Amino acid sequence: MNEETPNNTEEDDKPLVPRAGVIYGDIIYWGTIVGTFFVMLGSVVTFVTTNNYIDPAYLLSAIIDGATVENIWKGAEGVNQLPNGHWYLSEVTTGNGLTMLGIAMGVFSVTPAIFAAAYVLFKEGQKLFGGIAVVAGLITIFAMMP
Amino acid sequence: MSSLLKRIPELSLLIIGTIVIYIAMGLLSEVNDTNLLTSDGAWALVVGSFLLSFIIAIVAVLGGVGGGVIYTPVMLGFTSIDSLLVRSTGLVVAMFSGLVSSGPFMRKGLADIRIVFYCAIPIVVGAMLGAQVAIGMAESMGEEGDALVRLMLGLILVFIAVMFIMGGSKNEYPKPKKIDELSEKLDLKSSYYEESLNKTIHYRAVRALPGGILFLIVGFTGGFFGLGGGWAVVPVLNLVMAVPLKVSAASSGVLLAMGNAAAIWPYIMKGALIAVFAAPWMIGQVIGGILGAHILSKINAGFVRNVLIVLLILTSIKLISRGVEGFFGVDIPII
Repeated sequence: MNEETPNNTEEDDKPLVPRAGVIYGDIIYWGTIVGTFFVMLGSVVTFVTTNNYIDPAYLLSAIIDGATVENIWKGAEGVNQLPNGHWYLSEVTTGNGLTMLGIAMGVFSVTPAIFAAAYVLFKEGQKLFGGIAVVAGLITIFAMMP
Repeated sequence: MSSLLKRIPELSLLIIGTIVIYIAMGLLSEVNDTNLLTSDGAWALVVGSFLLSFIIAIVAVLGGVGGGVIYTPVMLGFTSIDSLLVRSTGLVVAMFSGLVSSGPFMRKGLADIRIVFYCAIPIVVGAMLGAQVAIGMAESMGEEGDALVRLMLGLILVFIAVMFIMGGSKNEYPKPKKIDELSEKLDLKSSYYEESLNKTIHYRAVRALPGGILFLIVGFTGGFFGLGGGWAVVPVLNLVMAVPLKVSAASSGVLLAMGNAAAIWPYIMKGALIAVFAAPWMIGQVIGGILGAHILSKINAGFVRNVLIVLLILTSIKLISRGVEGFFGVDIPII
């Protein structure tokens, strides 16, 4: 055990901002913004066209009526079953599918950001944290597997 | 405000885009009336959700918590919306303001990428486990499970409110006296430029093992209840791991975004996230999150924090009473 840490000391120069962090933050920031525009577009398609995977009037009514997730999907005309996996990828031309794609894009942006940051960390010789980042990235990929 | 919009053109586009889409959705709606909801009612529900989400994002930034801590308990306590649906949407509310704030915080050097990655492993694993248990419980326990969730969440809210009341013990620049072996090996030291003091602050995170275990629990709770976990991440980083308060706050949003991104996939794939319902909450969090991170530092955060404490206590009373009613089949006359 060491006795003291160099905390709260002063220096003249501003410290360099870590490149891995900047790349990580920028990928997520822009991924989220692009995803948000997809969500906006999907919301308009949902409301102003009839091109929907599930009728939005039915969905919103069922939600405020307190229906369970299972009953919502099983009661949806033309669907009648719970989804399993990335259902929206085959429904991207519908309002519901496009909106969900936008949300998923925002969430997904974390994964490439982690791997990009890991690459920079490895390049800078920070192998331990590069490795930890790769493990974190693999866990997020595992989470999105059906 | 206008200088901010010039500085961040994407924010202008998001605000203009939101106004345009909601006007178009109101004027050109093809949504049918149902027994429960008219076409206008459906539009009002979506726009109302967006405005609430926007306000929650701002209050969450000021109160130093994730939006999920406000959204999930209030929706579970005061609406009849299915608890699994509330919790999945709660993760959207909890994570998206954190996602958009990742960029500015990283560029300023406030969020520490190495601390974020170290803490990410336990928080991501815990969050995924929590989400899986939540879905499994909803499938197997039905209404009884719902009541149990409300009861447990009510008790957790009491704990969070007490933590906020005692929040004065936070340490802006903690000075750890000893470095444990794991922290020594990880070498979690860094520095950032503190503008208010006009100097560079050096710090070193310690107690990496207890910190990691606590993050596993925080991740599980966040994934299970759809709370996020902003209420717990800052205290663990600051009080347990001795990370400066400002770095803790900035790293917290980045860390939660990562943890919640893993937790939300099981909900998406099982259909527990309904796009038309979640969309306005996401848009509100993104716009509110960007605005909150840039312009709200001058507002009195203490007042918002007190409002938040009252809100948490009132919501916990409602949640506990609904949980007891559902689980034990008794009637508690609370509005």
